[in-house]
Amino acid sequence: MKKFMPVEELARDERFHQVTQAERMRDGRSAFSANSEQSRRSSNRITPERPDASEAARGLMHGIFVGEIQALEGAGRTCWDFTTGEEAPFALKLDMARQAWDEARHVEISVKLGDWMGSEIGQFAENTVLFQAACSNDPVLRLAGVNRALEGLAIDVFTTMKEFGEVAGDPYLEFCEDWMLADEVTHVKMGSDWLRKVTENDPERRKKALEFQNIVDKMFSYGGTRSDSDESSIGLARRFRELAGFTDDEVEYVAEVSMQALNERKAMIAEKQAAARR
Amino acid sequence: MTITVTPETFHFVSFDAPHTARIAARVATMLGLDDIDIDIVVDETSPLARVFVDAAPDRIVVTAHSGALEDTKHPTNQSDRATTLALSRALLKARDRVRGGFADAPADSALELRQTAAWDVHIVARLSRLGMEINKQASLYNFRNRHGFADSVDGVFETIWSIEATTWSELDAFSARAATARA
Amino acid sequence: MASKGKPRAPFAPWDRRELPGSFSVEDTARRAGNYKWAEMKLFEALGGWIATVPELDVKMRLGTHCYKHAWHAELWHKRLPELREMNPDRLTMPANDALVRFFAAMTEPEAPETTLEKLTGVYRVLIPRFIAAYTFHLNNTSEITDAPTIRSLRFILQDEFDDWRDGEMIIQSLIETPDDARRVAEHQARLETLMTEAGGVAGHGSIGFHATAPEGAAAQ
Repeated sequence: MKKFMPVEELARDERFHQVTQAERMRDGRSAFSANSEQSRRSSNRITPERPDASEAARGLMHGIFVGEIQALEGAGRTCWDFTTGEEAPFALKLDMARQAWDEARHVEISVKLGDWMGSEIGQFAENTVLFQAACSNDPVLRLAGVNRALEGLAIDVFTTMKEFGEVAGDPYLEFCEDWMLADEVTHVKMGSDWLRKVTENDPERRKKALEFQNIVDKMFSYGGTRSDSDESSIGLARRFRELAGFTDDEVEYVAEVSMQALNERKAMIAEKQAAARR
Repeated sequence: MTITVTPETFHFVSFDAPHTARIAARVATMLGLDDIDIDIVVDETSPLARVFVDAAPDRIVVTAHSGALEDTKHPTNQSDRATTLALSRALLKARDRVRGGFADAPADSALELRQTAAWDVHIVARLSRLGMEINKQASLYNFRNRHGFADSVDGVFETIWSIEATTWSELDAFSARAATARA
Repeated sequence: MASKGKPRAPFAPWDRRELPGSFSVEDTARRAGNYKWAEMKLFEALGGWIATVPELDVKMRLGTHCYKHAWHAELWHKRLPELREMNPDRLTMPANDALVRFFAAMTEPEAPETTLEKLTGVYRVLIPRFIAAYTFHLNNTSEITDAPTIRSLRFILQDEFDDWRDGEMIIQSLIETPDDARRVAEHQARLETLMTEAGGVAGHGSIGFHATAPEGAAAQ
C-alpha cells in the first residue's frame, strides 16, 4: 500500500457520487436572497422555522455523514503515511488512531440519524474537499487542516444541528449531536496541542501550518455556507470553539474569512446571473 | 390539455423542458387531470427544493425551485424520480383544491407549517398507494418536526397516512390534535 | 477482622498463584518490544486501509480496530520502562526479518477490490498469531512477579478475540463464490508460509514450540 493517497482514489460503493469543491462552486444558483430577483427567505440558517427545514436538515446530515467518512479516512491515513518517530511522534499517531475510532462512531451515528430523518445513503453528492485538506505531506499541516480547520467546522455544524434538534424538540438528534460535539472539541484540542508541541523549536514550520489552516478555513466556509451572517446555513459556534482552545483572535479570523467567502460567492453568483440575463 | 414549461432552455441547470412536460402529462393523466391546462415555471437560479401551486378550475400553475426537480446525487442535473414526485405532489394538491374537499383551504402562502406537513402526508400516502416510490420515514420526520416528537403524534400521522379521502377541515383538525397532544 | 491469635495466611486458600514463570525480565522486555512493534504495524495498516475499502461496514470496523491495536502498542510501550528498558524504542523491533517480510506482504493489497485479501491477512493469519503468542505468555509467566503484564495481556486478549470474531464474520459474509473462497485460501497460504518462517509475532518460541528457527526458516 502506497503512502499519500490522492483524493480521487477514495474507495466508495456504488451508492456514492463524489464531486469536487471546484465543481460545487461552478454551480451558479444561490439560496442567498440578496442577489436574487425574488426573495427566497429572510434567513438561510438551518432552523425548524424554515419551510424546507426537514429537507435542509437531511441534506446537512448527509454532508456530516460523508464528512465523517473522510475524517475517518484522513485520521487513518495519518497513522499510515508517516513513519513513527522520524516523521511523526508515536503519541501523535496514537491520538490519530483514537480519532479514527471516534470518527468511525460518528459515521455509525450519522447512518442511524440519516435513517431517523428519512434520508438514504448516497442520496446527495459527496464533496471531497475535506479529505483534500487531509492530504498534506507534512503531518503538522495535516493537523492544522484536519484537527483545527475541519474539526472546527464540525463544531460549527454540530452546534447548528444540536440547536435544530433542541428547537424542534427532537431528543434523538440533540442527544447524538451533543455527543459528537464533545468528541470534536477533543479533536481540536488534540490538534492545537500537537501543533504547538511539534513546532516548538521551529517557528517557520508553525507559521506555515497556521497559514495553511487559514487557507483551509476559508475553503471550509464553502462560499459562505458557514459564517456569522443569517444568510449562511451554518453559524459560527463561538462558545464551543472557545472551549476547544481557539483564541479570540482565531475565532475572529474565521469569522472574517467566512464573511469574505460569503461576499465573494455572492458577487460571483450575481455576475453569473447577470450574464445569464444578457 | 396544454402543458407549458418555462424557461424553454436552461442556463444554470441541465434540465430539459420538453422532457419535463412529458413527465407532467403522464402525472396529470395518472391523477385524472388531463382536461386541465398546466403551466410549470422553474426558477433555475434557486437550488432550493420548494414548490408552490396555484390552482384554478381551468389552469394549474406550478412554480418549482430547481432543487425540487434535481438529482441531488448529481447536482444541476435533472432527476426523473424527483421531477415525477415533485409534480405529482403539486398536481395532487391542486386536484384536492379544485375537485376534492379542500376548496376552503388557505392559500399555500397562508398555510401554517404544521398544516402544510399534514396535507403533504395525505398527498404522499396516496401517491404511495398509486405505486410511487415514497420514503415514508422522511414524511414522518417532517410531520414530527411540525407537530412534535411523541408517540401520540406518530399515531395521528398513521391515521392521516391511511385515509384515502378527507376534507380540509378534517385534516386540519387531525393536525391540531397532534400539535395539542404533544403539548 | 481475623480473630485474635489466629493471623490469616498471606495467600487465601483459593489463591493458587505460583511464583515461578518461564520468562526473565529480559525475555519479557524482548517480547513486549516485539508485541509493540507488531501492534504498531497492524494499527498503521488498518488506518491506511480505511480509505481503500469501499464497503462502509468494513471501513467503520477498521477504524475501530485501528484504535484498539494502537492502544495495545501503547500498553507495551508503557510496560517497557518497567522492565528496565528505559529507552523503549531500542526494543521496539520486529522479532526477525521474516516478520518484516510478512508485514510487507500483508500490507501489499491496496486496490478497492482486494478487501478479502486485506481482511484475510489480518483476521485469519495475524490476529490468530497474536492470540496464540499472548495466550502462551499469559499461561507461562509468573503469576506474581509479572502481574502487570498479565493484566495487560488479559485486556488485550479480550480485544483480540472480539476483533478476530468481527473480522472472521465479515470475511465469511464477503465470501460469496467458490472463486472468493479460493482467493482467500491462496492468500492465506502465502502469508502463513511467511509467518511460519517468522515463527509468530514474538519470533520462534512465540508459543513455546520451535524456540529456534526450524531448518529452512530464516534465522532470528
